[in-house]
Amino acid sequence: MRAMHPVPAVLRAQGLVKAFKGRVAVDQLDLTLAAGDRVGLLGPNGAGKTTTLLMILGAIKPDSGTIDLAGHHLPHRRSKAMEQVGFVAGYLPLPENLTVREALSLFAGFAGIRNPQPSVDRAIAEFGLEELADQRNQELSSGQRTLVSIAKATLHQPRLLVLDEPTASLDPDIAGRVRSSLLDLHRRNNTALLVTSHNMREVEALCERVVLMSAGRIVADGSPAEIATQFDVDDLEGAFLKVAADLRGPR
Amino acid sequence: MNLTRVRAVIKRHWLILFRSPHRWFEIAFWPLMDVILWGSLGYFIAQENEASRASVPYLLAGLVLFWTLTQVQMTGSTAFMEETWTRNLLNVLTTSVKPIEYLAGIGFFGLIKLVMTLVTLTIATIALYGFDLSAIGWSVIPIIGLLIANGWAVALIVVGLILRYGQSAEILTWGLNYVVLAVSGVFFPIEALPAALHGFASILPTTLAFAAARQVLDGGEVPWSSLGLATLGTVAFLALSAWFGAAMLSVFRSRGFITRYS
Repeated sequence: MRAMHPVPAVLRAQGLVKAFKGRVAVDQLDLTLAAGDRVGLLGPNGAGKTTTLLMILGAIKPDSGTIDLAGHHLPHRRSKAMEQVGFVAGYLPLPENLTVREALSLFAGFAGIRNPQPSVDRAIAEFGLEELADQRNQELSSGQRTLVSIAKATLHQPRLLVLDEPTASLDPDIAGRVRSSLLDLHRRNNTALLVTSHNMREVEALCERVVLMSAGRIVADGSPAEIATQFDVDDLEGAFLKVAADLRGPR
Repeated sequence: MNLTRVRAVIKRHWLILFRSPHRWFEIAFWPLMDVILWGSLGYFIAQENEASRASVPYLLAGLVLFWTLTQVQMTGSTAFMEETWTRNLLNVLTTSVKPIEYLAGIGFFGLIKLVMTLVTLTIATIALYGFDLSAIGWSVIPIIGLLIANGWAVALIVVGLILRYGQSAEILTWGLNYVVLAVSGVFFPIEALPAALHGFASILPTTLAFAAARQVLDGGEVPWSSLGLATLGTVAFLALSAWFGAAMLSVFRSRGFITRYS
């Protein structure tokens, strides 16, 4: 396991436990991210990744454990914390019947930005959305919608961007563009990234550190190479498959 | 409370209304149909029995005041439901918008829609039946205020139930209005209700508000003591609804019900 990060952390979750109807989804999870960290949260289906993300974002209340997000303790300071956190999910739609510019302006308002225009213009320029700005969201392709979702989540220049399956169902070309945009964002603003994905190559390209979960627990935490070594396999995909096989049990 | 975020919530729902012509039905079309239905019924009753109090002014005053409560309540409930229908709830929950800011936004948006509805109703009742609600005088203002507050309280209960029970509770958005319509004496004194309902009906602040409007229409004094009681009841109802909504939000977060909408 990795050593504790020095302060200041953008995220410090300790002892998180969550059960649904008696089934433990997340079990004693500790996770710390420092400013600028790029962390992939991996695990087979049902490992507890999305539950973990939703607890970190304050959308689900943990049964026990503590979360400090962007220096604010959840749940009481959730709103303050979210002023420095963005969230993107590949499965979430954008509001229909709005143009890209209108949707971005709206989310800038949700982020509490009083004069949204400069933030919207900057996001449109940074993510190369100029040609899409006046199109309605429902007219966009999946990849374009993902880019707009990322732009939407970065309007307030968050210190931490949480991404749940950001490139699910995108073709490799568009997924590559999304990854480049995320790395550009990280380089520009030192934004920390916390990403879940089932695409191991994507995680290797995007993240310097991987946290591997199984049955609600962290089973490995390190660089992709360290994880591969720990599981005595060639790469991250091999480690993932081993964890999934262990979870299924002997056949 | 951050007013920029409240404004954003209002803008979100204004844009939905502005871009969806079918949503104008609840501002322009249904109120107009109600005026024709209830106005004509009152006209018919007056023709049959000139001494009847259940004539056009009585029914139309009840109708306009009932739409006041209904529009505020339905706007609050359906604005929240819109987030669930469009799977936007998680998008909103993961911004810095606080629940109180969201409620303030949809509550204010309800007032905007109410003003538009009242314009429709006023034009229709004056043009078609020569009835103007301002005949009640200034006392209509506290009566409308009470009904708005009760509309917000009912909306909070509906939102709380949707948070707890999901989309199966949506029917209550429309259903609870009919409970109020049936037992608050909107068009008639509650003595006309079945005896078993008198006790329940008499403690509702909405009953006192509708009764006050009728008393003034009949040429009586404004029943300030009755309106004072209605105010106390409304404050208690709002407090209870706010507590219920907060409790249901806590259950929603504890049980991870957000996954229903993501």
